[in-house]
Amino acid sequence: MSLFLKLSWYFKSQWRRYTAAIVMLLGTDVLEMVVPWIAGQLIDQVVANTLTKALLLRYVTVVLLIAIVVYVMRYLWRVFLFYSSFQLAETMRQRLYEHMTRMAPGFFAQHRTGDLMARATNDISALEMTAGEGVLSGIDGLVTGVLVVGIMMIMINWQLTLVALLPFPFMAWYFVALGDRLHIGFKEAQERFSDLNDRVQESVSGIRMVRAFGREKIEDDKFLSIADKTADANMRVAATDSLYDPAIFITVGSSFLLCISMGAWQIQQGQLTIGQLTSFTMYLGFLIWPMFAYGWLLNIVERGSAAYERIQQLLETESPVQDSGTVDRIASSDIAIDIRSFTYIGSAMPVLHNIKIAVEAGHTLGIVGPTGAGKSTIVNLLLRYFDHPDCELKIGGIALQELSLQTLREQIALVPQDPFLFTASIAENIALGRPGASMEEIRAAAQLASIDADIMRFPQAYKTLVGERGITLSGGQKQRIAIARALLLDAPILVLDDALSAVDIETERRILKHLSEVRAQRTSIILCHRLTAVEDAEQIVVLNHGEIIERGDHHSLVQQQGWYAQMVDYQRLEQTVASGR
Amino acid sequence: MHQDDKHQQGVDFAALWRLLRYSLAYPRLLKEAGVLLLLATAGQVLGPVLVKVFLDDYVALGQYPVGELTVLAIAYAFFYGLSAWAGYHNAMRFNQVAFSVVRTIRSQVFASVMRKPLAYFDHRPAGALVSRITNDTEAIKELFVQVMSSFIQNITLIVAVFVAMAYLDLRLMLLCSVILPTVIVVMYYYQRLSSPRYHRARSVLSRINASIAEAIQGMRIVQMLNQQGRFTKQFRNISQDYFDARMSNMRLNAMMLRPLPDLLRTITLAGVLYYFGSQSFTTVVEVGVIYAFINYLSRITEPVVEMTQRLSLLQQAVVAGQRVFGIIDETGEVQAASEYKIGAGKIQIENLSFCYADENPVLSGINIRIEPGQFFAIVGHTGSGKSTLLSVLLRFYPVASGRILIDGIPLEAIDQDNLRAQMGVVLQDPFISASTVRENITLGLPISQSEVEAAAKQAQLHDYIMSLPEGYETRLGERGGELSTGQRQLLSLARTLARRPRILILDEATANVDSHTEAVITQALNELRGSTTIIAIAHRLSTITHADQIVVLHQGRIMQQGSHLALLADAGLYRHMYELQMQKSLVQEAVVYPHPQA
Repeated sequence: MSLFLKLSWYFKSQWRRYTAAIVMLLGTDVLEMVVPWIAGQLIDQVVANTLTKALLLRYVTVVLLIAIVVYVMRYLWRVFLFYSSFQLAETMRQRLYEHMTRMAPGFFAQHRTGDLMARATNDISALEMTAGEGVLSGIDGLVTGVLVVGIMMIMINWQLTLVALLPFPFMAWYFVALGDRLHIGFKEAQERFSDLNDRVQESVSGIRMVRAFGREKIEDDKFLSIADKTADANMRVAATDSLYDPAIFITVGSSFLLCISMGAWQIQQGQLTIGQLTSFTMYLGFLIWPMFAYGWLLNIVERGSAAYERIQQLLETESPVQDSGTVDRIASSDIAIDIRSFTYIGSAMPVLHNIKIAVEAGHTLGIVGPTGAGKSTIVNLLLRYFDHPDCELKIGGIALQELSLQTLREQIALVPQDPFLFTASIAENIALGRPGASMEEIRAAAQLASIDADIMRFPQAYKTLVGERGITLSGGQKQRIAIARALLLDAPILVLDDALSAVDIETERRILKHLSEVRAQRTSIILCHRLTAVEDAEQIVVLNHGEIIERGDHHSLVQQQGWYAQMVDYQRLEQTVASGR
Repeated sequence: MHQDDKHQQGVDFAALWRLLRYSLAYPRLLKEAGVLLLLATAGQVLGPVLVKVFLDDYVALGQYPVGELTVLAIAYAFFYGLSAWAGYHNAMRFNQVAFSVVRTIRSQVFASVMRKPLAYFDHRPAGALVSRITNDTEAIKELFVQVMSSFIQNITLIVAVFVAMAYLDLRLMLLCSVILPTVIVVMYYYQRLSSPRYHRARSVLSRINASIAEAIQGMRIVQMLNQQGRFTKQFRNISQDYFDARMSNMRLNAMMLRPLPDLLRTITLAGVLYYFGSQSFTTVVEVGVIYAFINYLSRITEPVVEMTQRLSLLQQAVVAGQRVFGIIDETGEVQAASEYKIGAGKIQIENLSFCYADENPVLSGINIRIEPGQFFAIVGHTGSGKSTLLSVLLRFYPVASGRILIDGIPLEAIDQDNLRAQMGVVLQDPFISASTVRENITLGLPISQSEVEAAAKQAQLHDYIMSLPEGYETRLGERGGELSTGQRQLLSLARTLARRPRILILDEATANVDSHTEAVITQALNELRGSTTIIAIAHRLSTITHADQIVVLHQGRIMQQGSHLALLADAGLYRHMYELQMQKSLVQEAVVYPHPQA
């Protein structure tokens, strides 16, 4: 229940709506109690022969009025209460989103996508339940219970109340026990369902083996045995679930039996009227909901608490990189990299060692080397994905940490290793960093990236939807769109992080030629596997195991007869083989 | 999941009927459920009648004969008990039918997927197929668990309540019966109004989820481009849309779903009271009747509301049913049993061409002849068509033009089971299931322990297996966790060898293994040479240097053919490939021993 305390900031901010909802709920509860009382009065007057037409009309009018007022109030409390609970979900969802926009990439590396998604969806729903149905079952359940028992005791007969209520505590206890069982059973059923999913996933992805070994029958049997277990688990849940109705039935039935028997005896004794007995049995029916509400509340709060904790934990995570720099102007774009040593958090081996590189503004730097040599780490440091005390990187003579993150990012246009396209049109994807760009500018950038012709072949050209829900593009097409996206920015520094790997050699040549034309006076950093991409760079460094093993321009490196020269030969031969010679 | 977003108005009754028909396979359960339902409903409806008798015949008259009243009390308790008991068992019968039906549908769709031609899997993401088999059948489950039983029970209850009312007071019953069509009309309009709102909320929700997922995956790009503000604003708009959609949905619910039937019920109650009161001015009225009517009235609106709420489940189940039936109804692979069996293992491929659905030819004009017991190798660059050639040979895809003969018999004519038994394959990425080592070798087929061990020895894995805590009975983790990549490949080899195939096919079996494992596999192949026909496709040329014959593929055509030495003598593709691999190890060595800084 401490969850309600933790959420008190929200209840306070919405106190008007919550108060209105609660007042309406209370009003509904009270007014609903009037109808059975009127029915009882009417019966008594009929029996005593004291009912008049005027009285009857008045009773019926009051019932009708109450019906209408209750209807309006029922509508209103729902609107007030659920508005507030939906609004809480809305608030938390936006907080999470904004929080994520402030987190450096390290944060996303630490949390699995599925986990973050679960917090942003399921956990928020659970929290919303607490602020809506939780408040409802807590307050309304309690109020209805107290009100009904109070009326029965004070206005009708306290002895009868005590006797008639005897079975109800058993029901409440039984509901809680059933709720627990249902909870456990439900978890079990979900686990079996995920087993079923895994099984099918395994069979479908291993279909070639299934075929090759003629295992269809065996796969069927395995699947069936898990499907059976799933069905059994579901059956257990259903069996528990089916116990609710009989429980309500027996409780209400035995309570009615006690109430009617005791009531009849009291009528005979002159302590009770037949009308009061009728009202009383009507009140008894109101007591089922509070019993139910209690078990429900426990469940909602349990789920809500866990959800709130998970969400808070995420919101309290600080970004690994702080935006504390204040400089927002840079005079030139020469780059100075001085990495004495860099080690990833949680790893013992340094990834980079003694990397000293100076790039003059307007020059191109090529970084090459085998996979895992640390090429991308240098770029990531330049982009401030993480900070390290032993790494000093400067742009225009200013340390990265002194720059505001926005300024730093404005200096660099990055084409990342795995281009990511958002669910939007191709034009919007290219103009991602400059949403105001004109169609001409977008097409010009696409032409430079040699993707314009491909795009024009799509049925809706630049309006074609891509990304998760759009058409599927090849790896090379995605890369070229990412290049167009970066070129549109026209930033002082362009970084290609292995951005041409899926592009064929002809297209690569064309793109590089375009780049050398439009970015003649600009700084570029090119990371690549295919060495042809850096042939024209003023400076090339060869990285291996985090250290620079060779450096120079293409010609001097070829003459060094080291890794670079061997790789040039190797790739030439590879090209020969690929073309079938 | 996105298919659910499609706005689906109306229900496909053919699919619904086909789904419901599955339950007819359990006539005994259904009959029992029917009887139990009648009992439960009768018990439920009779309670108020007994109270009415008690109030009118005894209390109102002030007479309390102990004997008769005891009988009445026992009858009351009995009916309630009966109703509770029968209600529970009725629900359980329905559940049993439901889960049996879902199990049947699941096994049908699974078996159907397992038997689809392999081309079927080329353009369908595995995730979508898995979802058909699990999520869609789960949606169908709700039709039986939530919808069918609820409809049957609630309709029976409403009918029974009106029958009991008619028995007590026909005119009052007619008065009350006005509520039923009214509530049904309200629910009809509710359904019509809520359906588009519900679908809108669902589709906005999937947009929200998509944009959260994109934010997680693409945040670094958003940040790099300084677009956090714009994305946050966009997200806020979608989120606001979702909020609005849900509010509109909720307002409708608040207006129509529960409060409105409740209002109608209270109005009816006022009518009942008025009728009863005005009657009392002229005749003697029975108090028990009013008691019973008040009691019954409280039971007839909720069932209608419940049924309305479950209509969306019905719709989802039918849509899921259509998708599942779509899979079941598509024809699977033709599996004619035949008498033709593989004998010596001689293979002839004549003028074979192949292309995947409306694409460029992947193989063209392939002619190959492999003698029994020969070691035959196929090499080529990525995309040269060598994997496709194997797939066709394994009958994963039908031969499009040209023909393949095994021991002179066309491949299509060979008995399916015999083909599988006699043609063993070692795949590139071995599939290790979470069971014991032995089961991973037998794969569920009747293979004796000695045969298993012999195969493991041939694959040089026996000693390692014996060093495991429980030997052949050691359980391997999910996806073969404890085995190294090389050992997994050797296990895969042992699995195939245990079947003693006439023809052994290796599909890039040495692509991802260390040189020790490669040596083991090469040695095993050399031992099999002469007794088993071997076809190896390999990227790594060192695996196949001993082959009797090597075919070099490029862009689906045979470029060169001959032994390793003969091919090497030529300044052609094979020699370049060989040199390339030699250089690769040189380049890799340079990585391991860094040069001193120049």
